[in-house]
Amino acid sequence: MKFSVNWLREFVDLPKNVDEIAELLTRAGVETENIETRGTKIDKVIVAQITASSRHPNADRLTVCEVDDASGTKRQIVCGATNYKVGDKVPLALPGAKLPNGLEIKKNTLRGVESEGMLCSAKELGFGEDASGLLILSPEAKVGASIADLFPSDTVLDVEITPNRGDLLSHFGLAREVAALTGKKIKAPAALAKIDIKRSGVKISALRDCPFFSARKIDNVKVGPSPAWLRAKIESVGIRSINNIVDISNFVMFEFGQPTHAFDADKLKGGINVRLARDGEKFLALDGKTYSLAPENLVIADDKRAVGIGGVMGGEETGVTESTRNVLLESAYFLPASIRRTARNLNLPSDASYRFERGVDPGMILRASQRATELIREIAGGNPAKEIAAAGKLPANHSDVSLSYQKCDQVLGLAIKPKTVDEILARFGLTKAKTAKTRSTWKIPSYRRDLQRDVDLIEEVVRVHGVDKISGTDRSRFTQSSAADHSRDLESSLRNRLVAHGLSEVRTPKLIPRSAIALGENAISLRNPLSEDHVALRPTLLAGLLGVLNRNVRASVERVAIFELGRIFVPPTGKEERHLGLLLWGNATSAPHWRLREKHQLEFFDLKGAIESLMIPALSFRRGEDVDLALATEILSWNRAIGFAGQLSAQRRSTISAPGAVFFAELEVDPILSGDETTKTFREIEKFPAVTRDIAMIVPEKLSHAEILRLIESVNEPLLESVQLFDLFSGSESSLGPARKSLAYRLTYRDRSRTLTSEEVTAAHAKIRERLQRELGAELRE
Amino acid sequence: MPHPLEELRDAALREISDARDVRALEAARVKYLGRSGSISAWGEQMKTLGKDEKPIVGKLLNEVRSALTAAIEERTQAFRAQKEAGALANIDISLPGSTGPTGYSGYSGHSAASVGYSGYLPLERGSLHPLTQMLDRSIDIFRRMGFALADGPDVEDEWHCFDALNTPPEHPARNEQDTFYLPDGRLLRTHTSTVQIRAMQAAPPPMRVIAPGAAYRRDEVDAMHSAQFHQIEGLYVDETVSVGDLKGTLELFMRELFGPDTEVQFRPHYFPFTEPSLEIYVKSKALKRGEQWIEVAGCGMVHPAVFEAVNKARGDHAYDPEKWTGFAFGLGMDRLAMILFDIPDIRLFAQNDLRFLRQFA
Repeated sequence: MKFSVNWLREFVDLPKNVDEIAELLTRAGVETENIETRGTKIDKVIVAQITASSRHPNADRLTVCEVDDASGTKRQIVCGATNYKVGDKVPLALPGAKLPNGLEIKKNTLRGVESEGMLCSAKELGFGEDASGLLILSPEAKVGASIADLFPSDTVLDVEITPNRGDLLSHFGLAREVAALTGKKIKAPAALAKIDIKRSGVKISALRDCPFFSARKIDNVKVGPSPAWLRAKIESVGIRSINNIVDISNFVMFEFGQPTHAFDADKLKGGINVRLARDGEKFLALDGKTYSLAPENLVIADDKRAVGIGGVMGGEETGVTESTRNVLLESAYFLPASIRRTARNLNLPSDASYRFERGVDPGMILRASQRATELIREIAGGNPAKEIAAAGKLPANHSDVSLSYQKCDQVLGLAIKPKTVDEILARFGLTKAKTAKTRSTWKIPSYRRDLQRDVDLIEEVVRVHGVDKISGTDRSRFTQSSAADHSRDLESSLRNRLVAHGLSEVRTPKLIPRSAIALGENAISLRNPLSEDHVALRPTLLAGLLGVLNRNVRASVERVAIFELGRIFVPPTGKEERHLGLLLWGNATSAPHWRLREKHQLEFFDLKGAIESLMIPALSFRRGEDVDLALATEILSWNRAIGFAGQLSAQRRSTISAPGAVFFAELEVDPILSGDETTKTFREIEKFPAVTRDIAMIVPEKLSHAEILRLIESVNEPLLESVQLFDLFSGSESSLGPARKSLAYRLTYRDRSRTLTSEEVTAAHAKIRERLQRELGAELRE
Repeated sequence: MPHPLEELRDAALREISDARDVRALEAARVKYLGRSGSISAWGEQMKTLGKDEKPIVGKLLNEVRSALTAAIEERTQAFRAQKEAGALANIDISLPGSTGPTGYSGYSGHSAASVGYSGYLPLERGSLHPLTQMLDRSIDIFRRMGFALADGPDVEDEWHCFDALNTPPEHPARNEQDTFYLPDGRLLRTHTSTVQIRAMQAAPPPMRVIAPGAAYRRDEVDAMHSAQFHQIEGLYVDETVSVGDLKGTLELFMRELFGPDTEVQFRPHYFPFTEPSLEIYVKSKALKRGEQWIEVAGCGMVHPAVFEAVNKARGDHAYDPEKWTGFAFGLGMDRLAMILFDIPDIRLFAQNDLRFLRQFA
């Protein structure tokens, strides 16, 4: 909310320096977000009266004015505005004046006509946003007077009021807070004069939502423009001036925090009834829109129809206009929850609803009504009725709150004398109801509905006493690691392995765009997306990783090797699973390197290698099927499928801009993480040497490496320790002939308890060679 | 007067030390120690010597032979070292290094030469996302202070996200407008404070946990706001936990993160689920943003109403607000990372431009 410092000063002595005020509030939890200076002292801008006006001889859109500036001689000014008439008083910037927008005024010649200064708009003077024409001053303004005197400079603080502090949503309220924080006295408005209340003319049929309602009739008002001071006040806090009656209602709200509403009394039919709306009841509000109401909405109604949405907005038909003669002034208390529901469901937030939903001060309702009444009488004439019509009951006082001094010390971690605690609470208007040695019970003022428990009082104590006085203490504690600790550590090790493998981690949004769901995945959509970029929960990591690929290909990188480890949401339940996605595209290196003679393209085996680097227990791969993959491979751990890997299908690839093959894998992480501990145990280091023998063979192209391994394994040779493929070639240009390939394996033989003889190894090796030849038809090479 | 053998030795040593290359050295060796070399000739001559002279000359001959052998060996070593150094001198050590194993097989289907290459090839450096790095750093700090991890789902119910956190329906701070809802009425958590509730539901006090995770806000996206952001939630419930303990914990955290000279300020604020509530500001010369206070986190003492809600859900009185107090905090990881790494726009995190990511490799 915006606060005028000049206005605040009417209620409390403030430090001269505005930054000090802002700092004071901010350090007490009332954050000042912006400080704006208005109506800076502008020299050489004075009040002038237009005495004559004629068309510019050489320009259709300009006029030549003659103005009186009280200097004795008339000045000639060329002007582009059209909103004035001869006799109006307007601001005149004399040569030498410097306007807030930086413009320096000089005597000059405009299209052949001399101009001795400039007539100004409100915007040019920094008084507001209105640049549509000259700022027409009040007829009472004294010709020749300085504009700076007419519009004293002011500072406007934009203050963030937290939702618990509805009592600060007025100048009086904030001034009261400053007074409490600084220990200064608040200049309270005059006490409520005795008013007679009559229990007729208004009726409440919805007492839960509207516990109290009052209305005062004021006859024979003269609706017109507001006096300059009133306009300046409400405009300083960002409210547009409408007419004197509406402006007064707004003024009182910004002064005391209590919204009031003025009806055109002659347009009301019969008495006021505060009731719940009928289902589908139509209502034309002051904003010119028609709302369809529901029984949860509270309306102010006359005998015929709703004339206001209670606490939210008045009706267009009964609003105060130039022709209004008699007004009915409403001031009421509404149930905060009811107002919030209505304002939200109708999507109709207003300054009034903002205050009612945070809870207004029951002690201020009649006072505000009286203040508005007095102002209307002063400014718009009018005879107020002697009595206020009222129904219902003001909300009861807040419950007393008991505070133990020892608890206060304990929560803060700082010993504060009970006397200090008492003094601080008294500053906030709390009064002691009961005192015992260790605790006191406090009466809560009507405007502090947020003070409900001891901790609320403790907060007030620390706000004034200062958080800085509490020194930080060390409260370490042994804590056993949790399942979440365990899985995070394993997750970290997966990430680190992939980084060591040369992949970059990405983190893509878990909310995916509409275009990504259109790819045919069955993602859970949001009920209320805000933009097309975030409409559904990702069901896989594919869309996100493809997005990253696209972006980087457009940025002309030569290599994309990325992974993401994060949650996905399985439709239709939204079950959250952790997945790992990998994507490889482009060259093996992002730039040529002197040790690499040829460019290597990333390929399927690079993807497979990255997955192998994860050390997934009992990892294996087998051919599978996947809609997105042309070369689809299932990833298995302990023979359970945990994901897939492969080359993106042409159809999938057509949605992205990357030329060439894209390799992608996605797997569930939970089965990997829940697997064995990474703790390894020692096995005795081999004491006896190994003997290696190679086998080179030519086999049909179709025969897989896995089949060859399986066969070698089936021999069950106890001396065979390991088998390593070290050479492979195929292709028609070789001498192998079509559909054949050459493979070379190194077999390692060892007995862990003794040194092998050459004969033993030769015999074992021959057995394997023989089986390969016999069962696979391998053509062995020497 | 020197023995002729000694003269021969001196001449030989001179010749050995003057040898300019391996060949000259070998010539000297043959000349003196070779089968028909001069030293060997003396061996023949020995047979002709008398009984008295024989042992003396024999001893001398042995000494000369081993002196020459040693000298030749020494020169040989020197020539070998020279040769090795000469070869290595041609290596340009300013060439770019290979920084590790490639991990790539290089298998192309045709080129057999590259298959099985087990040496070191140019390696691409991988990188952890800066947010991951920020989370890792933060988690490490809290673990040193004795916090364990806790976890909860991104998709939450209204009770965990609002009601249990003292934000009942129609509470002005319950901002459904800014919350993403699923068609079934569940929502995407707007803060990780939901995990406070889940942790307390699962176990009685004392409780000392942090919960890193994503949260979501239905807000216009700009340089400072994104629909998804990342937090670390913290909760400590024990007997006599105080604002002092809260300050001590988070002051240490901020100093560990931003450097020992970091100033930390706590300002009163409002959150429905803590009372008193505080906002944390830091100022550090080590940061680019220099001398101004930067808001980095929200925190406070757990509101008794939160304990009461947890008790109700647990069906016991484990979190008796008269017996237990606690503090809670929420740190914005995106924001902390932006401050620490001097990143100007939050959207860079989600864009995953490799030119951005690799800056943090």
